[in-house]
Amino acid sequence: MMSCHSIRPLLPARAEELTPFQARTRADHVATCSRCATEAAAYSRLGQALTVMANLEADPADGTLERILVAIGRRRTRVTDPRVLAAAGSAGALVATVVVARAVRQRRQSRRPNTRRLHLPSLPIPSPALARAK
Amino acid sequence: MEVERELVEAAQAGDRLALEELVRRTHRSVYTCALRLVGNPDDAADVTQDVYLRVVRKLGGFRHEASFATWLNRVTTNVAMSTLKRRTRRFAVEGAAVPADTRDPAPDPAERAEAVALARRLERLVAELPEGQRQVLVLRDVYGQSTEEVANAMGLTPGAVKVRLFRARERLKAELEAVEGGQVVALAGRRRSSGRRS
Repeated sequence: MMSCHSIRPLLPARAEELTPFQARTRADHVATCSRCATEAAAYSRLGQALTVMANLEADPADGTLERILVAIGRRRTRVTDPRVLAAAGSAGALVATVVVARAVRQRRQSRRPNTRRLHLPSLPIPSPALARAK
Repeated sequence: MEVERELVEAAQAGDRLALEELVRRTHRSVYTCALRLVGNPDDAADVTQDVYLRVVRKLGGFRHEASFATWLNRVTTNVAMSTLKRRTRRFAVEGAAVPADTRDPAPDPAERAEAVALARRLERLVAELPEGQRQVLVLRDVYGQSTEEVANAMGLTPGAVKVRLFRARERLKAELEAVEGGQVVALAGRRRSSGRRS
């Protein structure tokens, strides 16, 4: 049988952490050594209590939940809310259409000669010609 | 922490109220896990918020292969470890609140009370472990992650995880025995003195 010194590193381990050989060696030793059996029982009790710890919950500071809800609300609105994305997309498309349309219109106007706005200077009619006309 | 699949699916489908309900139900558990890993309440609150921001981003990819609680626990571990890599501050153990039990009542109230009392005592002792040992112990023994998962989360080899785990368990057992031994001695002393008085 192995000595207590050799078994000691195996005592804190859970069963699934040992190889089948190690598990058998530990079980054989613990069955005949009361001191190591006490140690093994203490580790077993510790392991069970640590598992219970998973069910204990601490209370976060006041306002933590609200802060989280605000943060995820902001994130969802910004990134993933399809309604907001659709509205933002439509508004953006509308603005882009207006801007492009105005630019195209201005460009066309600058290329075409603007006859409507052409003002001829009012020339004075010579007086002999005016008399002939009368 | 128990969360119905329907609730998770509703949140995945974009139901805002379902997502809020999910947060309400799980935030204490996430905060507690974060507190055990990072060790101080302020950092734990920051980690908790970051966990849910990541949940919002990644929830669509959750395929229900593991339970939602397990998935959330992994997300919490990853966020906490990333936070710790950024921040090297040590935490004050004194400020850590002792968590309250939320588990369903056990059939034997005496056994249950004893287990919960022991777990509460352990909570303080675990918080006093060196950071590396505490994190390994919390992930492996409290939350039941495998040695490989713990190694991945902490950037360690499985061998290094086993060494830390062994040391943490050994130290915790010794400290628990010292605390309980002290209590037994104190109790015996009180009994002796009350016996003398009567």
